Amino acid sequence: MNNTLKYGIMFIGLVLLQALILNNIQFLGFINPYFYIYFILLLPSSVNRDLTLLLGFLLGLSLDVFCGSLGCHTFATTLVAYLKPYFQKVFGPREDYDVVIPSFRSFGVKEFLQYATILVFVHQFVYFFVEAFTFADILQVLMKAFCCSIFTILLIYIAEKLTYKR
Amino acid sequence: MRSLIRFLLKFKTLFFFIILEVLSLVMIVNCNQFQRVHFLSSSNIVVGSLYNFTSKISDYVSLGSVNQALVEESAELKRQNANLRSQIDRLRYDSTYTVRNDFATEKHFMFRTARVVHSFANLKDNYLTIDKGTSDGIRTGMGVVNEKGVVGIVCDVSGHFSIVMPILNSRAKINAKVASKSNVGTIMWNGHDARYAKLKEVPQYIPVEIGDTIKSSSNSAVFPEDIMIGTVTHIERLNNDFYSIDVKLSVDFRNIKYVDIIEFRLDDEMTELERKEETK
Repeated sequence: MNNTLKYGIMFIGLVLLQALILNNIQFLGFINPYFYIYFILLLPSSVNRDLTLLLGFLLGLSLDVFCGSLGCHTFATTLVAYLKPYFQKVFGPREDYDVVIPSFRSFGVKEFLQYATILVFVHQFVYFFVEAFTFADILQVLMKAFCCSIFTILLIYIAEKLTYKR
Repeated sequence: MRSLIRFLLKFKTLFFFIILEVLSLVMIVNCNQFQRVHFLSSSNIVVGSLYNFTSKISDYVSLGSVNQALVEESAELKRQNANLRSQIDRLRYDSTYTVRNDFATEKHFMFRTARVVHSFANLKDNYLTIDKGTSDGIRTGMGVVNEKGVVGIVCDVSGHFSIVMPILNSRAKINAKVASKSNVGTIMWNGHDARYAKLKEVPQYIPVEIGDTIKSSSNSAVFPEDIMIGTVTHIERLNNDFYSIDVKLSVDFRNIKYVDIIEFRLDDEMTELERKEETK
């Protein structure tokens, strides 16, 4: 119950942070960090895959309601929620723990950053691709995704550093 | 049957995933831009009031720059006022001047100020939400400007909010011209950089140089003539007949706090109002 509450607050907090503050950064006209995806990255391995999918879907949908881009965030976030358990297996600790909460400590700094980078880039590429909805601007989409991912990963790195307890 | 169920259960996560993705694709394809934007802040009380709240907070932070803009605008207005005053003085002593009776064709524009509740500049089709709606007399199709120049056109209105389609939208088509020339073409956004737009298919007989100003043209009832849009930064020769011009927009769409909505009032509307006033 305690955990549910914690993740619930995190969900709402990240959606509000994204919608009200981060979406207004618009550095150089188009670069925004899409930090809210951090919620999916942090879900513990004990959460089953269907629930992860559902949470991803709801997370994207809440963002879409704020952004007016109905469907775009939802599509990208659901995809990340689907891929997340696979990448968690690849980059996560090899030993059989009961529950793994992805973090610098449990994964190791390098592994966690690799895990985050891949998922963040997939998320942002798919988001911009679906938003443009055409193959014609593929280079532009790639550039946007690349720039935004760098910012997002930077924020995730800072957030991890702040919560990293030795 | 049993094996089918077993099959479904085995891949239930995959199916769930596919269903959710199809659902979001349906949302993307089915909702056109207007519905999406409408769903967003104007009709949605929760999101609308949240945006309203945060923009009130950020207003305090940006008071300095808003003040600066106001000072600049008032200086400009003072300059215009002085010009007009001297013109009036000249006309007063000019006995040959006759009042031309072209009131009927004269355009009357009225300005209303609104606060930008929420705006986007990083999408392919961007929108602004402003805090004035039908109850304040806003209708779709009205032009929107700020102190720097043309912003866009009102495309959707609810009771207390309106959605503005800025130049930074692939559907926005705003008539523009090279300063002091007649109508030239429509300004289009290139789709990624919020600072630049394109003026396409400019005939080559119109002389254009880098640094020229691009302004709103006279042949629309949406904007008054000669409102700033931007300056020419790059000229490309498309073929023998046309140029394509890059325009640096004068409005900073990433940092836009207040806008003026322009109402174009036809003369008969005004006389009707006056008649009503007389009969009171």
